[in-house]
Amino acid sequence: MKFSRLYLTFIFFVLYMPIFYLIYYSFNSGGTMHHFESFTLDWYKEVFADTRLLIIVLHTMIIALLSSSLATIIGVFGAITIYYAKHRWKQTLLTLNNVLIVSPDVIIGASFLILFTIAGIQLGFTSVLLSHIAFSIPIVVLMVLPKLQEMSPTLIDAARDLGANEWNILTKVILPYITPGIFAGFFMALTYSLDDFAVTFFVTGNGFSTLSVEIYSRARQGISLSVNALSTLLFLFTLVLVVVYYVITQRASAKGGQK
Amino acid sequence: MDDRVIIRFNHVTKQYDNDLPVLDDVSFEMERGKFYTLLGPSGCGKTTILRLIAGFIEPTKGDIYFHGKRMNNVPANKRQVNTVFQDYALFPHLNVFENVAFGLRIKKIGKEDIERKVKEALRFVNLEGYEQRAIHEMSGGQRQRVAIARAIVNEPDVLLLDEPLSALDLKLRTEMQYELRELQRRLGITFIFVTHDQEEALAMSDEIFVLNKGKIEQRGTPKDIYDEPVNRFVADFIGESNIITGTMIDDFVVEFANQQFACIDRGFAKNERVDIVIRPEDLELTTVERGKLRVRVDSVLFRGVHYELCCYDTYGNEWLVHSTKKADIGEEIGLHFEPEAIHVMKRSGGE
Ligand SMILES: Nc1ncnc2c1ncn2[C@@H]1O[C@H](COP(=O)(O)OP(=O)(O)O)[C@@H](O)[C@H]1O
Ligand SMILES: [Mg+2]
Repeated sequence: MKFSRLYLTFIFFVLYMPIFYLIYYSFNSGGTMHHFESFTLDWYKEVFADTRLLIIVLHTMIIALLSSSLATIIGVFGAITIYYAKHRWKQTLLTLNNVLIVSPDVIIGASFLILFTIAGIQLGFTSVLLSHIAFSIPIVVLMVLPKLQEMSPTLIDAARDLGANEWNILTKVILPYITPGIFAGFFMALTYSLDDFAVTFFVTGNGFSTLSVEIYSRARQGISLSVNALSTLLFLFTLVLVVVYYVITQRASAKGGQK
Repeated sequence: MDDRVIIRFNHVTKQYDNDLPVLDDVSFEMERGKFYTLLGPSGCGKTTILRLIAGFIEPTKGDIYFHGKRMNNVPANKRQVNTVFQDYALFPHLNVFENVAFGLRIKKIGKEDIERKVKEALRFVNLEGYEQRAIHEMSGGQRQRVAIARAIVNEPDVLLLDEPLSALDLKLRTEMQYELRELQRRLGITFIFVTHDQEEALAMSDEIFVLNKGKIEQRGTPKDIYDEPVNRFVADFIGESNIITGTMIDDFVVEFANQQFACIDRGFAKNERVDIVIRPEDLELTTVERGKLRVRVDSVLFRGVHYELCCYDTYGNEWLVHSTKKADIGEEIGLHFEPEAIHVMKRSGGE
């Protein structure tokens, strides 16, 4: 037991090491990443003074919120459709859904690029939004479907027995029941969209950029510690999202836990 | 048509795909304000009958009438019937009050009326003061009551109960049997109660339907069914009994275990092969000389109120005896019984 604990600590240390290294030097006044001179918040000031960067942050947020909201709506109805589908269909749909989740971002990105070019959609905000919605839907489906399957089918019979029509059943029974799954799906989609680099890199253009792509291009141009500061902020924001997600799922399982 | 009849099944058959029919040409009537029990082994089609009445499924053949009107295609949400489900099917995201209010809210009833009716329904099932509880905070017995309150608050003409007591422990179950029976009397509506427990059926019902393999084997009052089972299946299912084959020699004379006995049955053909039922409690322990049957005791179990003796006669027939007297294993004893204790039934094929 003791060994496994040690092992885990070591693994996590290795995994988090680069991030903390990067965060540490974001406070370095020296301007390089090998020698720490003294503590400064200059790099953060630089980030907040950079209006182009702030606009990109805004774009990233808008894309993330819009794409995850739309993906959640589409994904929930997709999950309900799969839930009601006949057995053979169900398997096919589920497999198609899972293939999308495991296929490499590069392939998804490249195929979107081809699709948008053929369809004549200008690369930029719309293309990024559409592709983010597309890769988020399977994630939402994957989070919502288990909640649906966990729901006893007699619940729907019971609602009908009490006079509910199909709309009542959807709004008063199914949706409230799967709400925790919907939130989980939404937050997963949100973090995926915020983080995404590969797909966005393919389908963006015409000056439109998201944070990940921007950090990438800045990091390539040369080392400025403002990239560190920016990454730190992004890391903290993701951390907040994870905590929110954790709290929501915890509350949900505490509620439905005793059955 | 008799206006006491509330539900009528007319040659109803239910079949899934090309399997054997789950219900096979079933016809019956049920009257207003009575307590009916559907009794039968698991898989015999009890739930199917309830689901047909509730409207979750439609018959493959035949018609279902409600107050004399054909109901086959009326959807579940338009029927004056409510169900208490086997797993209760309470909405986990709603508290007790909102669960009970569910049906009323859908009917868009006024706020004050809802408040009043829900309170009243909860009082009916002895759950006042539990309005704000979450479902997962309620015990099994309490959930059961919430499920009943949620159904009766809609003032249905018929309440369907699908094995509602099977998940409860023995003590609570007996308690709930009394309460359900009492509830039915107070509400005065028709209850259709499903169980596979014959004691429960005998204790609670005005009338019992004994089902087997999608057919009604017998319907009647508990006493009818217990005393006059029509065939081997019913006799066997409704309680522990001794069932052996015999021959009807003449009216009032039957032969089994190589002896002739006086009985009170008649109307069979001469020398017709029949099934004989004698209940274990109708057999009386006595000396070999005074007994009508001579048996050897094979095992003895103490059952609290009586001993349960398992005996064999010289022809290999097993005789179950309930007696307050004890006998020793291996002992030869006599069994005495009155002519009324012998119940003669037509042989049913196959069993
Ligand atoms: N949707 C269905 N499809 C196929 N067979 C079914 C379906 N529902 C029930 N059955 C079959 O019908 C038979 C009777 O079921 P049921 O009415 O639930 O029995 P029970 O008397 O135990 O309540 C069972 O053999 C069951 O397998
Ligand atoms: Mg059943």
